[in-house]
Amino acid sequence: MNFGMPLLILMIAYFIGTHLEKRHFQSILKREDEARGFPVVSFDTMPDNWTASRSDLVSGSVVISLDYFKRVIAGLRGLIGGRIKTYEPLLDRARREAVLRMIEDARSQGYDAVFNVRLETSRLANATRNGKGTAGVEMLAYGTAVKFASRFANAQ
Amino acid sequence: MRFVARQPKEGINVSDTHPLVEAGTLVVGLTAIFVIIAVVLIFMVEVVLYFVSAEDEAKLFDGWLPEDLVTVSYTDERLLETQALVDRLVLHWPDAPYEFRVEIDDSEQANAMALPGGLVIVTQGLLDEVESENELAFVLGHELGHFKNRDHVRALGRGVVLSIFFAALTGNDVAGIGIKSADLTLRSFSRRQEARADDFGLQVVNSEYGHVNEAWHLFERWGGKDDSIIDLVKYLSTHPDSGDRAATMKRHAEEKGWQSDGEITPLSW
Ligand SMILES: [Zn+2]
Repeated sequence: MNFGMPLLILMIAYFIGTHLEKRHFQSILKREDEARGFPVVSFDTMPDNWTASRSDLVSGSVVISLDYFKRVIAGLRGLIGGRIKTYEPLLDRARREAVLRMIEDARSQGYDAVFNVRLETSRLANATRNGKGTAGVEMLAYGTAVKFASRFANAQ
Repeated sequence: MRFVARQPKEGINVSDTHPLVEAGTLVVGLTAIFVIIAVVLIFMVEVVLYFVSAEDEAKLFDGWLPEDLVTVSYTDERLLETQALVDRLVLHWPDAPYEFRVEIDDSEQANAMALPGGLVIVTQGLLDEVESENELAFVLGHELGHFKNRDHVRALGRGVVLSIFFAALTGNDVAGIGIKSADLTLRSFSRRQEARADDFGLQVVNSEYGHVNEAWHLFERWGGKDDSIIDLVKYLSTHPDSGDRAATMKRHAEEKGWQSDGEITPLSW
């Protein structure tokens, strides 16, 4: 009786959460495929013989929240330690979504590549619980988008 | 060599363990660990019980009361009469190691408890429910039975040890835990312990009144009443099914040849 409600919420959270995760991964795979030829690298300099006609900061950010099921399982895991396996797909989705948004930002402005890509996260505190809980995590991807003037100027 | 842009392999950063498998493993594993720890703690309580005699316990808990117990006034007539009734009933337990003290808890929920050092607590709810002295005498006799079998220390020890364990587990302040009434609800007696206490209670009632009439009347009422489901469930949380219990007592009285009819002593309130 006492366990009924939380268990029901847990099940609903699991089914909805799993469904949304699956759909998100499908979207990510599709968009990653479209962005396949677009260079996104972590170098902070371009090769010497490349020249850029213009460049700008581009960024992509996403805020994700945990579902109740993941939160409960992670809570149990927290008792004994180890990999919080239910969080891994969540953060994987966030990372890839942020990078995709950054790419989409760069492409929409006509850039050819993004250099010096960095990823950052920050935790959003839960206002209802005195900032103790986690409402969600922000994943931010940013980098320097570059439009090439002549990519292989010296080589030619 | 020509560079071909390829998709990275899937699943590097994501474990392929199914979330339900992860959940199942954690739940089963942790439950097993907690059960083992709880069993070990309960065993330790038994060991302590073996070395501490009832006399030592009575000395140790002399004058003790649960910290947060809310009692009625010392001059309350019902308190005085219940104390007098206990004192009369104890005469039928010749070498009782305790000096029994009665306190009335102001809870509306009908219940009675046996606590260390010979402390008998009855709730206002119980005093409102009982319809005759015989009914009350049986409930008190039943609690005396718990003292005789030392179920009360066993149960309280478990309750306290387990609540410390759970407090440690959830990161609460372990030092802040005393013996509180709240912990008492954690106490649970096995059916066997309850049956033995019932037998002793009946025996005491029979010796006092010369018959066991009305002794289980309270449980018959509880067992048959449908509109008191809430109270019943609450009572069941520390005691077994009322209907079965009355039947078992009836059978036990017949076996012993105790009279099941006789004069009922009314209550003064
Ligand atoms: Zn009992």
